[in-house]
Amino acid sequence: MNVELKNIHFSYGRVKALNGITVDLKEGATGLLGPNGAGKTTLLKIMLGFLVPDEGEGQVLGYDLRTEQRYIRQRVGYMPEDECYIPGMDGVSFTAYMGELSGMPRQEAMKRAHEVLFYVGLGESRYRLIDTYSSGMRQRLKLAQALVHDPKLLFLDEPTSNLDPTGRQEILSLIGEIASSKNISVLLCSHLLDDIESICREMVIINKGEIAASGRIEDLKMINYQLYELKIKGELPVFSQQLIAAGCRLEETEDRLIKIYTPPDFDQMEIFRAAARNGVQVRQFVRSQSSLEDLFARTVGVD
Amino acid sequence: MTSIREKGYHHWEGQFLEKQRTFWPITRTGLKLAFGRKHFKLFYTFSFIPAVVYAVIIYISERLEDFKSISQGAEKIFQINPNFFKSYLTLDILYFAILLLMSIGGAGLLADDFRHKAVQLYFARPLTKADYLLGKAGVVIFFVGTLTLIPAVLLYLLKLLFAGSFGFFLAYPGLILSIIACSLFLILFFTAFVLLASSLSNNRNYVISIIFGLYFFSEILRGIISVIFRSPLSALFSITANLKQVAAGFFQVKPPYDYPWYLSFLLVSLFCLLSYLVIKHKVRGVEVIK
Repeated sequence: MNVELKNIHFSYGRVKALNGITVDLKEGATGLLGPNGAGKTTLLKIMLGFLVPDEGEGQVLGYDLRTEQRYIRQRVGYMPEDECYIPGMDGVSFTAYMGELSGMPRQEAMKRAHEVLFYVGLGESRYRLIDTYSSGMRQRLKLAQALVHDPKLLFLDEPTSNLDPTGRQEILSLIGEIASSKNISVLLCSHLLDDIESICREMVIINKGEIAASGRIEDLKMINYQLYELKIKGELPVFSQQLIAAGCRLEETEDRLIKIYTPPDFDQMEIFRAAARNGVQVRQFVRSQSSLEDLFARTVGVD
Repeated sequence: MTSIREKGYHHWEGQFLEKQRTFWPITRTGLKLAFGRKHFKLFYTFSFIPAVVYAVIIYISERLEDFKSISQGAEKIFQINPNFFKSYLTLDILYFAILLLMSIGGAGLLADDFRHKAVQLYFARPLTKADYLLGKAGVVIFFVGTLTLIPAVLLYLLKLLFAGSFGFFLAYPGLILSIIACSLFLILFFTAFVLLASSLSNNRNYVISIIFGLYFFSEILRGIISVIFRSPLSALFSITANLKQVAAGFFQVKPPYDYPWYLSFLLVSLFCLLSYLVIKHKVRGVEVIK
């Protein structure tokens, strides 16, 4: 078990940031999603041991959140979202320095820095000053510094920001490999849902300081709602009003395809009944595969 | 024979250090970066000129007969007593050299980390705020120490060596403690001063302006207040005047300004304390993830 949080509460003064968060993150890759201000930052801070929760308890890699932050940070790798580096240092010195700060002996940190820089694709540029690196190279360097001390758990905050499509694909493939075959668990925080969908099997969605959904992505898509795609002939407004009143959300695409997101336990026959009541012909009815965007939008209540 | 490893990710099989001086890699890296800056080594070398001159004076003082021609009428200069060591530790040119060096090698200590958002990288490691600040302070302590404490102690030992007896030691038994105490006080002040300036801006150029601005502004302010109020207490507004006044207290010699030296001591100590609080506030280790 990697992260186990029970009933975590945290407030910034009067503002409640986390309200009874309980999560259990298992090994492998997990996505952390949530709109701005949802509390995922605070949750990450608590998991890294920067903030002490007001209430609740938890463990990261078996270490207590309140008393063993030092051990947590020694065994967790963190790749921040910001472009952060130390000017005047070359890639290998910087990476070795980060390893040393984690508690590695100096020589081993240097040896390891060479290895991870090759692994992330910066082997040829490792003696160059970081100041001269491109954004993509700095992104790789951040991954290298997060890996240098061989963490058991990686916190990746927007790992593909500032990358071109090829670079993004390469980083995602590295992260995917790390998560799947290197025995390192990954917590991926990203607003790019495709990134999460391509790497993570599990996901946690936070909204307003509470867990809105968590579990396997495939299961969540199935459990939380169904998506149907319809083509109709007839008047849409009254038909749609009745479905909205029943708890559905409707979207109409440019090619007049109507997407209906239904609430849990919604009887799909209700769509046909509403159509019949309003004299609407249903000319196409498909139960569609929902996307992660759909799930996210629906879970946090945004379009 | 070690096996050939394929390129790729391999787990590290070593052990983390149990007892780690976490601040030391930070200090070592800070020193390396400072020495790597343009002209730093040159300025650092030049900063030892006052110490060399004082060493020559000590040598001449022990060979006055041999250097009669140059020492005539300047015997006071060649009197080696607590005032001599105090004068070394209160040289304006020494303070200026320290500030110049720190503006090149120390201005970015915190400012560069703020500018390039590197603070979060430090605090994602098993570091405390105290480790981080001690590591950064170590850089200033090293440079100020090598320009104050070490030369002053070496000058003292040189005097004992050239004298060839314990006469000097017996004449001033507490002098070595005064040298150490005064040097440590200077180290403390300059460390607080440089780190405070470095924490006040993300831009090292602004930090350099703050370092020299505060230094010279305090002198100008003292001048203005002195003209208006004609009071020796106007020296309390000057950085150098306060340091000289405190140094006089440590060496138990007549203070240059006509007020108790402990007032300056309290003022500088208060400044160091406030600086620490400001620096601590600026380095917000918990705000690492957006």
